[in-house]
Amino acid sequence: MIRFDDVAVQYPRAAAEALAGVSLECHRSALTAVVGPNGSGKSSLVRALIGRVRLARGAIVVDGAPAATMDRAALARRVAVVTQREELAFPLLVSEYVALGRYPHLGLWHAAGTEDTRAVQDAMTGAGIAELHDRRVDALSGGELQRVRLARALAQGGEALVLDEPTAFLDIGHEMAVFELLHRLARDGRAVLLVSHQLNLVARFADHMVLLHHGRVVAAGPPSDVMRADVLEPVYDWPLVVTRDPAVGAPALLPLRSR
Amino acid sequence: MSVLRWTALVLALLLAALVAISVGAMSISPSDIWKAISGGPESVPVLVVRTLRLPRVALATLVGAGLGMSGAALQGTMRNPLAEPYLLGVSGGAAVGAVVATMLGFGTAFVPLAAFAGSIVAVLAAFFVAHTAGSRGDPRVLLMAGVVVGAFANAAIMVVLANAEPNIVRNALWWMMGSVAEGSWPQIAVLLGYLVAGGGVLVVIANQIDVLSLGEESAAALGLDVDRAIQRVFILSSLIAAATVAAAGLIGFVGLVVPHLVRAGGVRRSRPLLVGSAIVGATLVVLADLLGRILRPPAELPLGAVTALIGVPFFLSKLRRLV
Amino acid sequence: MSRFHALLFATLVALPACSAPARDTTPAVEVRDDFGTPIAFGKSPQRIVSLNPATTELLFSIGTLPRLVGRSQWDTFPESVTTVPSLGQALRPNVEAILNVHPDLVLLYASQDNRDAYDRLRRAGVATVALRIDSIAQFERDTRLIGRITGDSVRADALVDSVQATLDRVRAATAALPHPTVFIHAWDRPIIAIGGGSFQSQLLEIAGGHNVYGDIAAPSATVTLEDVIQRNPDYVFASPISAPKMRASASWRTIPAVRAGRLLVYDTLLIGRPSGNLGAAAVSLAKLLHPGAIR
Repeated sequence: MIRFDDVAVQYPRAAAEALAGVSLECHRSALTAVVGPNGSGKSSLVRALIGRVRLARGAIVVDGAPAATMDRAALARRVAVVTQREELAFPLLVSEYVALGRYPHLGLWHAAGTEDTRAVQDAMTGAGIAELHDRRVDALSGGELQRVRLARALAQGGEALVLDEPTAFLDIGHEMAVFELLHRLARDGRAVLLVSHQLNLVARFADHMVLLHHGRVVAAGPPSDVMRADVLEPVYDWPLVVTRDPAVGAPALLPLRSR
Repeated sequence: MSVLRWTALVLALLLAALVAISVGAMSISPSDIWKAISGGPESVPVLVVRTLRLPRVALATLVGAGLGMSGAALQGTMRNPLAEPYLLGVSGGAAVGAVVATMLGFGTAFVPLAAFAGSIVAVLAAFFVAHTAGSRGDPRVLLMAGVVVGAFANAAIMVVLANAEPNIVRNALWWMMGSVAEGSWPQIAVLLGYLVAGGGVLVVIANQIDVLSLGEESAAALGLDVDRAIQRVFILSSLIAAATVAAAGLIGFVGLVVPHLVRAGGVRRSRPLLVGSAIVGATLVVLADLLGRILRPPAELPLGAVTALIGVPFFLSKLRRLV
Repeated sequence: MSRFHALLFATLVALPACSAPARDTTPAVEVRDDFGTPIAFGKSPQRIVSLNPATTELLFSIGTLPRLVGRSQWDTFPESVTTVPSLGQALRPNVEAILNVHPDLVLLYASQDNRDAYDRLRRAGVATVALRIDSIAQFERDTRLIGRITGDSVRADALVDSVQATLDRVRAATAALPHPTVFIHAWDRPIIAIGGGSFQSQLLEIAGGHNVYGDIAAPSATVTLEDVIQRNPDYVFASPISAPKMRASASWRTIPAVRAGRLLVYDTLLIGRPSGNLGAAAVSLAKLLHPGAIR
C-alpha cells in the first residue's frame, strides 16, 4: 500500500544523504518493520512520508498515487503517522486528543458528526483505552499515553499506520502490549509500517523486515532472512550471535562482550 | 465550559462597561447615561458620556478583545505559554513609527497611522530576516527574527529620544505607556473592522490551532500545511495587535495573561479559548482603564502600567502552581 | 567657608585683570544657591557659562552678554544671545564642553538632573551656581543675586524695581474686579495644567484671575479632561498652536468655557519666561481677562 521508490533525502548543510536511495514496500495485512542503527535514516523515512523533508530523488507512492502531489488531508485520511515524540504545551482530555485525529476529515469549520464520534469511540476501544476518555493527557503513564496516541492515529480512519519508535521508554509489559496490538491491527487488514530498534521483538511480530545502514537498504525479507549474524554484525559493528529463542522459536539476537 | 459560565462572562463584561461609563472624575447618574444614549438634550454630564466615556469604554473593549485573541492564538500555535501579541516586533515597530511621527512634528491624527505602518514594517522585517536565514517558515527562526527586529527598534527609539527635545520625549513616552483616552469614533470603527475580520478568520481556523498545538510533525501527519498555517496565524495575530497599538499605544500583559485566565476556567479547545479570551480581555482592559482613572486623581495612571500591575500578581500565583 | 572656597577666593584675587575691568567692586557677600550651597565671590567673573534660558536672558537684560562664553541650546531669547556659542543640553550638560571654554562662573538649572554636573564642575574648581525660578519672589531674589555675582548690581536692581512697579500697577487695577477662574493649559498629551506653585499662576492672580488648579502646590500637574470639566473654569487659556485644535475638538468642547467661546490664546512665549518681561506678561494676562482695565 505504501511504496518507497529509490527515495533519497538530504538535509540542508549535511555532508551526506540521510537516505541514499531506499526502496521498500509495505502491504496491507502485514507488519513491516524498518530497523537499523542510529543514523541509518529510519526516522528520515517517516519525515519524508509526512512531507517535513523534501525528496532529493525518488517517490513515495500510496495506493498507486504519488504522495508528493496528493492533497495533504487526503493523504492523512489514508495514512496515519505516529511520530517519535510529542510535547503538548497545554493539556487536553484524552477524548479531545483522540478527536483531533478526525481533523483530516473535518477540515476548517465542520463540527464533528455522528460518523466522527463513532470513529473516535471505535479507535479508543481498538487501542484499549476506552476507560481513559476523561483523563488529562498529561496525567497518563508512558504506556497509557502511547496507546492514546495510537488511538488518535486509528481515529484518522486510514488503512495504513506508520509508527516511529512507538515503544521507546516503555517497560516490557507495555512494549509487548503495543506490539500485540500492532500485530492484531495488521491481521485485521491494515498496512502497518514500524520503525524500531527492538530487533528481537520485531523479529517475533513482523512479517517483513528491512535493514537500513547509512541510508541504504542492506537486507530485506522475512525475519529469518534478516536476523543473521553475518548480516547484522557488519551493520551494527558489534560482535553478536543470533539464536532461536526456546519459548516461541523466533530468531533472537544476543550481543556479545567486545573483543 | 457551561452555558452558565459563558453567560456570566458576558454579563461581567457588560457590568464592567456600565461601571466604567458611570464612574470617573465627574459623577454620572444612570439617567444621564440613558439620556446620552437615547439622544437626549445636551448637558455637561451627557456630553461627558457621549464624547469622553463611551468612546473610551468602546475602545478599551476592542483593544482588550484584540489583545486577548491575539495572545490566545499565538500561545496555542507556538505551544508556548509565554507567547504574546507583540512577539514579532509589533510593539517595537509601532513605537518607532510613533516616535518618528512625533519628532517630525506631525499632528496627533497621524501618529496612529505611523504606528500601524511601523508595526507592519517590523513584522515584514521579521519575516524577511527569517527568510534570509534560510528557514522554511520554521516558527522558532521567525520568533528569533522578531526578537531581533524588536531589539533593533528599541535601540533606534533610544537613539532618537536621547537627543530629542524634552517635549518630544514626553509625548513619545506618554504614547508608549498606552491610553484609551483619545479614541475617535472613526478610529474605533477601523479597529472594529480589523477585529471582526482578523478575529473572525482566527475563530474559523481555530481547529488548525488545535492541531498545531500538537507539534509540527504531528500536525503535518494530520494533514495540515504546517508552515502556511503558522504564517497565517502569525500574520492575523500581528495585524490585530498592530491595530490595537495604533489605536491605544502599548498595553502589555493583556495578551499574555488573559488566555491563561480563560484556561484556568476549564477551556481547552481553541475556538472557545479565542472567544473567551476576547471577552475576558475586553473586561480586563475596561477595568484597568477605570482603575487608572480613579486611583490617583486628578492625574491618570497610564493604562499599560495598570495592566502590568494587575498582571504581575496573577503571574506570580501561576508560577507558584508550577513550583 | 570651606577650604575649597578659600582657595577659589585666593585664586580669583590673584588672577591678573586680563579682560574688561570689573564694573563694580562691591565686596564679597555670602549667598546660597538653590542647592543650598553657600557661594562667596570676590572678583567679577569674566567668562560666564549660563545653561538656562531664564538666567541667560537675565544676563542679557543686565548687560552681561559680552562676558557670556557659553549657553545651552535652549537659550534662544532674545536673538542676540544666539551669537554666544551653544554648549548643548541644559539638563545633564556636557561637562567637558563646559570646561573647554574655561569659565569662571557656570549657572545651572537647579534640578536633580544637574546634580552630577554641578558636583563635577565644583570639584574641577569652577564656581558653579544652581538656580531655578519658579515664583516671582524667586525671580526678584535671583536677579539681585546674579547682579551681585557678576558685579552688575545696579542694573539688576533697576530691572527688579521696574518689574515690581509694573506688577503693583496691574495688581491695583484689578484688585476691585471679580476674579474669574482660569485653567491654563500647558501641554496636551498628557494634559498638563499650570499649578499654584508656578510664577504663571502668581501672574494670573496679579492680573485679576484665579488659577483653577491653584490648590496644587507644584508648578504644574498632570490632569485629566474630566477633572478640568469637574472644576468648571470660567476661562481656558491655551497656546496659539493648541487653541484652534481645542476649539474644534469634541472632547474639549465638553468644557462649558470652551463651548461658550471663552477659550483664549495666551502669549506662551511671553508668559512662559520668568525674566524681566514678567511685568509685560502680567499686563498681557490682565488684558485678556479685564480688557479696558489696563492701559
